[in-house]
Amino acid sequence: MSKIKFTRKWLALPYALFMILFVVIPLFLILAYAFTDAEGNFTFNNLLTFFGNGSSINTILVSFIIGVANTVICLLIGYPVAYFLAHRDMKMPAVMMLLFIMPMWINFVLRTAASRDLLFWIGINGGEYPYLATMIGMVYNYLPFVILPLYTTMTKLDYSQIEAASDLGARPRQTFTKVILPMTAPGIVSAATMVFMPTMSSFVISDVMGERKLSLIGNSIQLYFDQGLWHMGSIVAVVMLLLIAIGMFATKNVQKEDDVRGTML
Amino acid sequence: MMKRFLSLLLLSVLVLGCFSACGSESERVLRVYNWQDYIDEGDDETPSVLDAWAEDYYARTGEKVRVQYDTFETNETMLNTLKTGKSQYDLVCPSDYVIQKMIAATENGTDDNLALEKFDYSKLENYTNYASPYIKQVFGENGFDGYAVGYMWGTVGIIYNPEYVDEEDTKSWEIMWNPKYQNRITLKDSVRDAYIPAMSAVYREQILALDGLGLSSAEYRKRLGDLMNSTASEDIDAAGEALKSMKDNIYGLEVDSGKTDIVAGKIHINQAWSGDAAYAIYEAEETAGVQLNFSVPEDGGSVWFDGWVMPKGADTELAHDLVNYLCAPEVAVRNMDYIGYTSIVAGDEVFDYVLESYSAEDGEHTVDLTYYFNGTLSEDYYSEDGKILVQTDEVGRMFSAQYPEESVALRGFIMRDFGNKNEEVLTMWAGFKSNNIAPEILIAIFSVIILGAVAVFLWFTKPKRDSARRRKEWLAKQK
Repeated sequence: MSKIKFTRKWLALPYALFMILFVVIPLFLILAYAFTDAEGNFTFNNLLTFFGNGSSINTILVSFIIGVANTVICLLIGYPVAYFLAHRDMKMPAVMMLLFIMPMWINFVLRTAASRDLLFWIGINGGEYPYLATMIGMVYNYLPFVILPLYTTMTKLDYSQIEAASDLGARPRQTFTKVILPMTAPGIVSAATMVFMPTMSSFVISDVMGERKLSLIGNSIQLYFDQGLWHMGSIVAVVMLLLIAIGMFATKNVQKEDDVRGTML
Repeated sequence: MMKRFLSLLLLSVLVLGCFSACGSESERVLRVYNWQDYIDEGDDETPSVLDAWAEDYYARTGEKVRVQYDTFETNETMLNTLKTGKSQYDLVCPSDYVIQKMIAATENGTDDNLALEKFDYSKLENYTNYASPYIKQVFGENGFDGYAVGYMWGTVGIIYNPEYVDEEDTKSWEIMWNPKYQNRITLKDSVRDAYIPAMSAVYREQILALDGLGLSSAEYRKRLGDLMNSTASEDIDAAGEALKSMKDNIYGLEVDSGKTDIVAGKIHINQAWSGDAAYAIYEAEETAGVQLNFSVPEDGGSVWFDGWVMPKGADTELAHDLVNYLCAPEVAVRNMDYIGYTSIVAGDEVFDYVLESYSAEDGEHTVDLTYYFNGTLSEDYYSEDGKILVQTDEVGRMFSAQYPEESVALRGFIMRDFGNKNEEVLTMWAGFKSNNIAPEILIAIFSVIILGAVAVFLWFTKPKRDSARRRKEWLAKQK
């Protein structure tokens, strides 16, 4: 009998088990459900029903548009904030950073419910302006996810390059577009992926802020699973998985330069 | 090192082994699967209804039983649990349409995990003696006899704030489309509840015409039920259209927030189940001093039930005993008082509870509850002309939410299971829930985004392309 030796490799065993149980098997289960009917026969019908259905296309397009809008708005707000926070002249950056992260310490559901009431109070109620209210809720919830990766990139900014640019006659605008922006590109891409995908699949924010009047991919998955239509729900999940995969692939090239996602989260 | 690892392993095996072995005391267990917060769970002084039953059972038979009590939040969750076939329960408490689905599964043998055992009414003395004659009638009409024993029931209607809403308007589901209340109305985020106003809109003329036909109440219920439950494809489409046209008029859909929103004054009209309505009306009065009313529209008033069923393989003896215990009027009062819904049980104790809660000597309304309590009360509750009357000020409010007047109850139809049309109805529902934006606009925005992305990409890669071009030109010059 060969002796089983306890080596360092064994330490990976718990995680391997975890991966198989909670990642690999569920993934195959979703695929199995997506391409079978109630009797368990292989079929493409779910996929055809999904794409033959106006409301699914509507949901995907709206999710995509809200995802893009949220990403762009978060970047527009978060980029200057992160720049100033990371600037070497900034006093007490940690404290300022804390103020931006703090909302995340409050429970997500509570925070969303509170912003619903706040918006109602200032007159932007979800009943009349479901899309506007949802956008505000999304930006509010995802802003920290943009600031953090951008902040991490910007603390590593090489200021001598910026100085060199102006020494060599670049105007401020040129310095920004030709030097600062390219240097922070990995942070931008990282921030965008951290906002875009979760926005499309979120359902609590749209439900609470939009008074359930609009529907994102996450809402539609939830609807199907709630009603016991697992096969339809799974096909929506697979479509979303594909969208995310495409998104990851598209941003892969920019990503590899610098991994900035390991932040204070 | 290896030794230590082995001993750890051994220890964990021992601990696990003890867990499974130590629990297997030979005690009879009754496994109950019920809605959340749907039974009196007792407090520091009084034991829960289930514990009280176990004690009672021990006193009668000398046998110790333990109740394993699990809860669910929606019928669909419960169905999914049962469908896996992994957990055996002795008593489950589904709603009317699920009972219908389970009976169909039993009789057609389509799904063994949903199949039911039959009740033996000779073992349910309390049910035979005290269940309301109205409930028994409706259960019989819907073919539930034998398979299900009722537990709680109620109506689907609207809670409204009389300060802003005209009472006359609340007598029809048309109120959901009424521009007078734009953005002050919420609809339940549940396809089965939303189907009621939708079908009422589709068949309004035919529904109102039923009144003139001189039908018996059983016939009226049947005819109304047939109209409201229609799942012909063109009716599903029409219901979808009706709902879509409602979407811009309502404030939103809700599952739970409606109660607090109407108390806070955000909305004035809220589609609601009677039990929730009773709770909301009470809360509004107690906490905010706001008066709320409840009304069941006349053009499609719906009645619902939850009842006990025994899945195949259940311990039928214990299950019968507990159901019979729950049908005792004094136990029914405990549960009603705790959860706020209306028990299907009548009887002296229940009527006393009604009088205690709602009776006012100089009340301006006299409500006739004979249809509900007849035959379950002792003689001294009847008036001279043989009626069971309550004098009260609470008509149109909590009292009506708990005990609808005869006219409302007798006209109430039951929403049936959509059966094999379920998926079609849900597709309609998904269409309603998706976004009210024209496809042309969506595609236009989508194209703008794609063009924008391409432009950004080209702009960012421009320096690279420029330098490549310059390099090429330079190389060409060198030659």
